[in-house]
Amino acid sequence: MSLKLQIILIISSLLSIFLLVDMIRKESLGLKYSLSWLTSAMMILILALFPDLIDYTSLLLGIVNPMNALFFIGNLFLLVIILTLTIAVSRSSVRVKELTQEVALLRYQYENERAK
Amino acid sequence: MKKLIIIPAYNEEDNLKKLINNIKKYAPSFDYIIVNDCSTDNTAEVCRVNNYNYISLPINLGIGGCVQTGYKYAYQNGYDYAVQVDGDGQHNPEYLKSLMDKILEENIDFVIGSRFIEKSGFQSTLSRRIGITFLSKLIEFTTGTEVKDVTSGFRLGNREIIKCFAKSYPRDYPEPESIVTLKRKGFNIVEVPVEMLERQSGTSSIKSMKTVYYMVKVSLAILIDWIKTT
Repeated sequence: MSLKLQIILIISSLLSIFLLVDMIRKESLGLKYSLSWLTSAMMILILALFPDLIDYTSLLLGIVNPMNALFFIGNLFLLVIILTLTIAVSRSSVRVKELTQEVALLRYQYENERAK
Repeated sequence: MKKLIIIPAYNEEDNLKKLINNIKKYAPSFDYIIVNDCSTDNTAEVCRVNNYNYISLPINLGIGGCVQTGYKYAYQNGYDYAVQVDGDGQHNPEYLKSLMDKILEENIDFVIGSRFIEKSGFQSTLSRRIGITFLSKLIEFTTGTEVKDVTSGFRLGNREIIKCFAKSYPRDYPEPESIVTLKRKGFNIVEVPVEMLERQSGTSSIKSMKTVYYMVKVSLAILIDWIKTT
């Protein structure tokens, strides 16, 4: 890893961590969903600080080019984040459906009571 | 004995009046509830003006969520039997009696009004029939039960079915999937011949462009349900 790339990665990951923490602080990003993002940013920071780790990992995974190992690990993290989001969306949509039905049934009751 | 007709309605302003009149004429022993799935036309207005018994969903849920609202209503209001009749007028309320007779005399849990037993009335298009046959075979393979008209939305269930559907009902394209779920839970299902009409106006919930998507999704749902354990 070149020094230039190392510096870019360190700065951008520090910036992301800062932004993430700020969003969690303002409660625009739920703590629950922020964990995977924070972990990813931390991982990039660690890898940028200790580039030897990438060489070691690529050796371990049998990937010739260390940069490919970095991409591979990055992709895995993205997949985890996306899966977490899909689960969250599924759950939310079930909840929205249940609430919608409840609201409709309650409004029906309310209007019937009022009409009496 | 309390019996309820659940009428899912999405943009059915032109069809509802005739349907409700037919229900009052041919099935006076049934109560009905129209579930207006946040229609963009005057469905709600038609219901209000004519003083129909209706529930309006504040946001559009699609056919599954819409029908389930009806089952929840049936469950909360202590109905013994609930039958779905599409708001588009393709199900003739005259057949409610034969569905009801079947469920009573043979102690059945769930009766499906089927177009394909006596092969009379509107038979749908060829491509749809091929799709329906495929799904029917798939359901026969996974459950061991032959149901010919798996996409029929003309279905009558007892209190146990109402309870089951009020608790959980598939979201979109619910009919074939719910048959598999009911079989898995050990309910018995029987088909009764009915004639269906071609929908009178408005658009079906399954548009031609979405047919492939429909087939893939429903087949997957059936297979997934097959490996569910609870």
